[in-house]
Amino acid sequence: MIKLLSTVLMLNIVYSLSAFASPEILPNIVHEKVLKNGLKVLVKEDRRAPVMVSQIWYKVGASYEHDGVTGLSHVLEHMMFQGTDKLEPGEFSKIIAANGGRENAFTGADYTAYFQTMEASRLEVSLRLEAERMQHLKLQEKEFVKELQVVMEERRMRTEDKPQSQAYEYFKAMAFTSSPYRNPIIGWMQDLEDMKLADLAAWYKQWYAPNNATLVVVGDVQADEVFKLAEHYFSPIPAVDFKPVKQRIEVPQVGLRRGIVKQTAKVPYLLMGYKVPVLNSLENTDDVYALEVLSGILSGGNSARLESNLVRGSQIASSASAGYDMNARLPTLFLFDGVPVDGRSVDELERALLEQIKQLQDKPVAQKELDRIKAQVIAASVYEKDSNFYQGMQLGMLETVGVGWQRSAEYVEKVNAVSAEQLQQVAIKYLIEDHLTVVQMLPKENSHAN
Amino acid sequence: MRIRILVSGLTLLLISFSALSVPTIQHWRSDNGADVYFVPTKGLPIVDVQLVFNAGSAYDAAQNGVAGLTSALLDEGAAGQTAQQIAEQFESVGAQLSTGVSRDFSTLTFRSLSEKKALKRSWAAFKNVLNSPDFPANDFNRVKEQTLLGIKRREESPGTLAQLALYKEIYQEHPYAKPVRGTVESVSALSRDDLSSFYQRYYVAKNLKVILVGGVSRQQAEQMVADLLADLPMGEKAQPIAKVPDVVKGKSIHLEYPSQQTHLMYGTPVVTHNDADYVALSVGNHILGGSGFSSRIVKEIREERGLAYSAYSYFHPMMEKGPFLMGLQTRNEKVVEAATATKQTLLEFIEKGVNEEELIAAKKNISGGFALRLDSNKKLLSNVVSIVASGAPLDYLNTYLSKINEVTLSDIQDAFQRRVLIDKMVMVTVGQKQGGNE
Repeated sequence: MIKLLSTVLMLNIVYSLSAFASPEILPNIVHEKVLKNGLKVLVKEDRRAPVMVSQIWYKVGASYEHDGVTGLSHVLEHMMFQGTDKLEPGEFSKIIAANGGRENAFTGADYTAYFQTMEASRLEVSLRLEAERMQHLKLQEKEFVKELQVVMEERRMRTEDKPQSQAYEYFKAMAFTSSPYRNPIIGWMQDLEDMKLADLAAWYKQWYAPNNATLVVVGDVQADEVFKLAEHYFSPIPAVDFKPVKQRIEVPQVGLRRGIVKQTAKVPYLLMGYKVPVLNSLENTDDVYALEVLSGILSGGNSARLESNLVRGSQIASSASAGYDMNARLPTLFLFDGVPVDGRSVDELERALLEQIKQLQDKPVAQKELDRIKAQVIAASVYEKDSNFYQGMQLGMLETVGVGWQRSAEYVEKVNAVSAEQLQQVAIKYLIEDHLTVVQMLPKENSHAN
Repeated sequence: MRIRILVSGLTLLLISFSALSVPTIQHWRSDNGADVYFVPTKGLPIVDVQLVFNAGSAYDAAQNGVAGLTSALLDEGAAGQTAQQIAEQFESVGAQLSTGVSRDFSTLTFRSLSEKKALKRSWAAFKNVLNSPDFPANDFNRVKEQTLLGIKRREESPGTLAQLALYKEIYQEHPYAKPVRGTVESVSALSRDDLSSFYQRYYVAKNLKVILVGGVSRQQAEQMVADLLADLPMGEKAQPIAKVPDVVKGKSIHLEYPSQQTHLMYGTPVVTHNDADYVALSVGNHILGGSGFSSRIVKEIREERGLAYSAYSYFHPMMEKGPFLMGLQTRNEKVVEAATATKQTLLEFIEKGVNEEELIAAKKNISGGFALRLDSNKKLLSNVVSIVASGAPLDYLNTYLSKINEVTLSDIQDAFQRRVLIDKMVMVTVGQKQGGNE
């Protein structure tokens, strides 16, 4: 089973103070400062170990790209390691390594982020280098040609040679019409082949600026010190005038969409998705939190409904899960996926999933079930404090998608307020056939006889 | 997304470790003979536990897959309770349990809030799963079918096929040759009784190490472990795994597969846990292929030639000789170039060793990143587990940095020349040969 929602899996549980954790044990304070050039700096002090993570988030990603240039944000992320005016290609990484650090970067539909994890006194190294590549990236043809090959290899590895991943790509392209979420984050192969260095230069110039970025530092640091360092390295960088981002809201879906994807695979696979709102798209967010809990009722653990009813109960599914990313920038899909057991078809699995949805619409969930999901949310809000990286990620992501980092503090409370009636209501309101897309991935006839 | 494997990271000379306290691992033995290791932590109301049995797939004997299936069934029915009831007990207090199997070990991994009510409930469920699995017939059949489907799905992954083929070739008749989860034939033949017998033989106190990390006192930890293990029979420690015979001779094997990329793996058995050469080999490997962008293999394959997204090398120490492996995946038409560059990089590394600058950089990275290896309860647990499961001395973390700093250029070259024998290296490629059928 592919991880449908890797970003969700990491982020659907946002922290707050819980019944089990007193403020003394778990200080939950975020310090914020906005520099004159618009760079927002967020700091969370955590003194459990003498380390820190520094992350810089840019408001750009695959959902900012237009047709023909898909994959630009991600290729640019690769090029950010390939040299600046002061740094040779690869030198950034070399300096971080010499300082005992680990670093990486990731591109999503709604963000591009870079991070370093280091012994806490090394923060300055990280800020100096990030400030350098925010304004002085040196895009060179030789490095570009090579890096583009690397990205194509990445695409082959992640998508072309993974039947379920490729099915998911076709599925999204069918589910969305005018929303940029129809395009893969890594880009279509043809667009990668057509990409030019000048495209990247323009993209870099357009989005990489202090007033389009958030710096998040979590760990054994003093907020005042971080602000001082950030001021020193980033304040000389000028702000850029941004045109408003085109909204590109998905057109209403007016009927079931259904497709088949044939793959060189051994085992069939089913994907289903309903159009749903997100935190960023609604004034009143009650429905969003209810959908969040609904995904927990279906798929939050071994005792949740899909595992209980379809994997164990009727034994139609070998695996089945539901997922929802409430932190997406634009309206998204409430997703289901699953693999039928040997001898049962994807049709049967689809009917079984629809039956599960009907039950949610017909009858309120039991209080016990609801309490179990809430208990998991509270526990998770404590567990996640075990990771600086994760805490930073929540702040950076919420800020970058436009929800605002402050909202992270509401999460547990909002989840706790969701009632069984609300769950039933959102199931009736959003999980409707006219807003559904179904893709069945079927093994190609005589594919790879071994 | 750009995943890069970076292994730790600054030298004692450059940063002060005054703030970094290396945890002391406390040890005691339970009444029935299990070794218990405990690291108290402050700051978070969480308890993390891992149970490690010497009961990996290397103990499958004629029933390949029995260790895997036994492990998978533990929480599918225990002490008369159904899988659903067990899951509800853990999840109603937000606790988590998972089971896992490698070639050497079977493990149970537990996480709970340390708050009294939550812990009481989750611990009771943990106790049932450990001590009284029922292996219910219905659940047995279901999980067996899931396992068989998982085995079938291996055929969808050229990377998995390459790894299985390599292990098969370098381990031949040794139990490490077999897939951890078994084959269609071997798993189909398994019965509930086989699982019960395996469980009774290997899930015993003398064959168990308990590792506990978290926000509880020593006294609490002792009581919890005593309670957990009270009903577990003493039993006997598992017999040692057979020695790995020498690979007779290196070779290249190709499996035709209709993928766009060819997956390449190149390896041979080399290191056991606590191997005397391990420190020199691992510092050397940091330079060869274990430190992402700083490493030679990534420079050669990715940065110079644009041949692959991921290229790496590692030593995998096991109870008996685990493999040294190099790997990458590249578009089919480039496999010859990639294979040649991989072999050449290793050959040159063995013949000429590393230079002073590379060694200093590696030491800086390893020692400077040391604090990052211990900065969460989760990482602490995993470090303590590797230390105790491998039988390393309990002060391993305290002496680690000085051992790294003592490694010399000639230690590395000497260790590679003695241990990584190029004519015993096996190369497996899985993909489409050029001119092969679509």
